[in-house]
Amino acid sequence: MEYAPLPQPEEIPEREKEDAMGAYLMMFAAVAVGLPLPVINLIAAIIYYFINRKKSRFVHFHSLQSLLSQIPTTLINWALVIWAAAIFFREDWKLTPEFWGYAIFAGACTLLYFIVSIIAAYKARQGKMYYFLLFGKIAYESAFKIHPPGVGDASPVNRPPF
Amino acid sequence: MTFDIKHAAQLSRGELLLRTFFGWLYIFIPHGVVLAFVGLWGAILGFISFWIILFTGRYPQSFFEFQVGLIRWQTRLNTRVYNMEDGYPAFGINAKDDSVNIDIPYPEKLSRGMLLVKLFFGLFYVIIPHGIVLFFLAIGFTVAWFIGWWIILFTGKLPVGLHEFMTGYLRWGTRVRIYLMNMTDTYPPFSLS
Repeated sequence: MEYAPLPQPEEIPEREKEDAMGAYLMMFAAVAVGLPLPVINLIAAIIYYFINRKKSRFVHFHSLQSLLSQIPTTLINWALVIWAAAIFFREDWKLTPEFWGYAIFAGACTLLYFIVSIIAAYKARQGKMYYFLLFGKIAYESAFKIHPPGVGDASPVNRPPF
Repeated sequence: MTFDIKHAAQLSRGELLLRTFFGWLYIFIPHGVVLAFVGLWGAILGFISFWIILFTGRYPQSFFEFQVGLIRWQTRLNTRVYNMEDGYPAFGINAKDDSVNIDIPYPEKLSRGMLLVKLFFGLFYVIIPHGIVLFFLAIGFTVAWFIGWWIILFTGKLPVGLHEFMTGYLRWGTRVRIYLMNMTDTYPPFSLS
């Protein structure tokens, strides 16, 4: 399997560094729109990825890594939101030690995600690669793998209806 | 900053009536729905840009160009709403329109101190003084819009004076907006020109 060479920090234009950094800051999207729903950040990360993935392999890598790392955080927080909503709206659901345990777990995961994303944003701004556990490899594979000619580069052809 | 709306030598009365009675259906709803989502995205980028400027002193260029594109799009739509131009406004951040010329120079560096000043004191030294003037200008603008509608209906032309005043009002509002959106450090002048 062949991969494109990694760009070095001094070769990457300032604009690409900023775009790569911006990907990690999508975690603040929910705050920006004033809706404390974890899914907002994921939607923002998806939009950002699809807008920016063609700009360069460096930006593609960072925006995909940011998007992938949003998924588990979103699922964990979403489960917490649903659990909390059930306790609030249903009389047969009570605040239990299990809930508090899960809330602390979700908070710790979010905090960890927050710290790691800030570090990644800082590294991206410097034009550096920064690999998350698991997601880093997937994003690298997607962004830097060289596809054989003819795969995925066929131009779309319009055809008549009959 | 350049903000110009070309004065149309001739405006269609048929289009004026069509826009007035059905514009909400074929222009404002389609554009409004898309712009609501694009504007939301602009708000997210604006919020994130604030933090980026605070730490790096730079507005990310891609984010900046998106905001400029959004302003152009909204202005394209406004020119039709206010009957300053005929034709259907183009959709899209990168779409072109010959009648609207907006250019906002990209600032290589922005002051972080000014960013905080705007955040904490912007209400007092930007929003209140400009808001008061713009409020009265908006009344004049509405009158100009109404009078302009009748003049176009009878003559097929929007007088240059009215056009200049309406353009000046939109220009003024845009200058205040880009200052508050941290896209420039230059304080907006109290001027229509």
